[in-house]
Amino acid sequence: MATEAPPALRFGGRHGRPPVSGRVRADRRLGYLMLAPAIVLLLAVTAYPLVYNLWNSFHAENLSEITGQGGWVGVDNYTRMFRSSEWLHALWRTLAFAGVSVAIETVLALGLALMLHRRFRGRGLLRVAVLIPWAVPTVVSATLWKTMFDQRSGFVDYIFGLHTTWLSGIWTSWTAIFVADAWKNIPFIALILLSGLQVIPTEIYEAARIDGASWWQTFRRLTLPLLKPALAVALIFRLLSGLLIFDVVYIMTGGGPGLSTETLSFLNWQTFLVDTDFGYGGAISVMLVVLCLLAAGIVGWLMRTRDLR
Amino acid sequence: MSMRRWRPGVAGLTAVMVVAAGAGYGASSSGAAKSAGTASGSTTIEFAESGLGTEGQQTQAAIKAFEKANPSIKVKIDVLSPNSTTYLQQLQQRFIAGSGTPDVFESDVTYPAKFAQAGWVKPLTSLHPNLHQFFSTEVAAGSYQGKAYAVPWFDNPEGLFYRTDLIKTRPKSPAQVVADAKAAMKKDKSLKEGIAFEGEKYEGAITAFMTVDGAFGGHLTASSVNTSANVAALKWLHDAIYVNKIAPQAVTGWQEGNVQQEFTAGHAAFAINYPFVASVDASTKSSPAHGHTGYIPFPAAKGGRPGSALGGEMLAINAKSSNVAAAWKLIQYLTSPAVEIKRAIATGDPPSLPSAYTSALYAKAPYFRQVKVLNGYAQPRPVSPKYLQISVDLQNAFSAVFANTSSVASAMKSAASQISAANG
Repeated sequence: MATEAPPALRFGGRHGRPPVSGRVRADRRLGYLMLAPAIVLLLAVTAYPLVYNLWNSFHAENLSEITGQGGWVGVDNYTRMFRSSEWLHALWRTLAFAGVSVAIETVLALGLALMLHRRFRGRGLLRVAVLIPWAVPTVVSATLWKTMFDQRSGFVDYIFGLHTTWLSGIWTSWTAIFVADAWKNIPFIALILLSGLQVIPTEIYEAARIDGASWWQTFRRLTLPLLKPALAVALIFRLLSGLLIFDVVYIMTGGGPGLSTETLSFLNWQTFLVDTDFGYGGAISVMLVVLCLLAAGIVGWLMRTRDLR
Repeated sequence: MSMRRWRPGVAGLTAVMVVAAGAGYGASSSGAAKSAGTASGSTTIEFAESGLGTEGQQTQAAIKAFEKANPSIKVKIDVLSPNSTTYLQQLQQRFIAGSGTPDVFESDVTYPAKFAQAGWVKPLTSLHPNLHQFFSTEVAAGSYQGKAYAVPWFDNPEGLFYRTDLIKTRPKSPAQVVADAKAAMKKDKSLKEGIAFEGEKYEGAITAFMTVDGAFGGHLTASSVNTSANVAALKWLHDAIYVNKIAPQAVTGWQEGNVQQEFTAGHAAFAINYPFVASVDASTKSSPAHGHTGYIPFPAAKGGRPGSALGGEMLAINAKSSNVAAAWKLIQYLTSPAVEIKRAIATGDPPSLPSAYTSALYAKAPYFRQVKVLNGYAQPRPVSPKYLQISVDLQNAFSAVFANTSSVASAMKSAASQISAANG
């Protein structure tokens, strides 16, 4: 039997859309009007610096130089960047840190979220307490961790009975940076994942239990797939902050010892604000944007969900 | 629209927004010059400084006295960050924006060449400053291409502190410093180290190095980095940690404050530091070092000279200030002997004028006798508009050596080649 299409589709407006009443049009205009300030603000603080930065990256823009500045240099800044071993090493370190920290922190955060999702006495208090590290400004937490990893006054060596100068070795420095970063960020990821867990209907779990599914089967076949949207959001946020890591490195190691903990954002800060080279710094920034877009795109693609309909 | 289609778009937009917030440092080289201005016969000038605590209070007191002596000039004090890197960034942002304020500002001894090359600071030639009255090394730090751009305000020479109760005769060579430190550690078990110095990756590591460098006959300039004398000086510091074991590896995390703490707490027999340690020691009676502090240039090795590194602050005028005369008057006032002596007694900031080292000053703070001696040896860091880049390269090299992740030879070679590339 043939089914008739709904009238609105058969007899749509000029562009095949349902006709819009004057009131709806007025509502839309009001909506746009109310959104306008936010859009203008976003363009001013996001689009303008981005485009200006892109422009700078094709120019000689060292603000400490009086002469020979402001001229078009084509892709010279990019060529310099791709040929710079400092940039290449910083890129490698940044990617390695982002990859390792995001993987470990996400697994730990998932464990924490699952734990906080269970019913137990004092759960509300614990949920609030777990957010405290996230609420502490990174500069403060990094400074505290720097003190904690101090060989003489820190608790880390004291508790573990070690005599390690953490921030003077390459791997020990990275370990300290990772711990400080994880302490701050795991609660944030856990919170996002917890919100994802809370919207999964409990009936599904009951059905799985009746069907005799084990804990692992339930987790793998139900929890993880249904947690994907929340996981995608958490991963994108964490991956971006991992790729842009600056403050923890700046406070704890200053990129040292030597250059061993120098990341792309640290190099970018140094190029902009120490060297005042806005041309070369612009090129590094643009590549950071590309890197982040790429990373976000890959995560978005990997975590895409099938349309349940 | 299906989730599959819009998700990467949202992800991308999020990425752009997050990155743009961090990466989009907007800068404008234009901008109208703005100055504090003149109103109803009186001139108001803005003075940017970094002093907090006692230093800040002393500056305020001096400014009040200046305003009393010059009723037609009002001074607005703009207290910027006490962190030198942040302070520099705050100043630079104003200069880059083309601002006429601050009219007059405090500058580290390493900044004038950079400011001069960028055209942000006024040459003092037309004001006919009498620079011969100041310590010549600090005058050199404030000059660029033969022109003076900054006036010495106070002059901090870094040197070697030692415990006179543990080391009876002042050491005469770097080797003797090692021997004395070892002997002191053996004698006094409460000592945690023979020597403390600034080994963290920051500017202080360079001044600690330069304090030792002169003693080995070294000269650190942009074109003279990987020399045998410079290598020998860095090796001495490296060996202090890893060969002679008179310094702990913890120095890799120490700045001048930590070094001061180690010395005044009685943990170190020697310390390389600025003279403020002496003033703190003089007022800290409970310190084991109290009354037992010697402060000398780093003793010279064969072919070297007594070592000291120049630190300190200078005063300069914004190239776009429209109140040059008033700004100059303020500089002259703040660098007059009486005001410098008052500041030295109150804060421990050593005067930049040799004539300010008077018996009146010594009566209040006897350690200034030693400070004056060190000022005669203090060497400025490389005077270059690219000093900040040079400093970064040196910090990277020293940090790797102090952490023992690079050999002295390869670190100096690498620093020399980077500095050479940066300087064209």
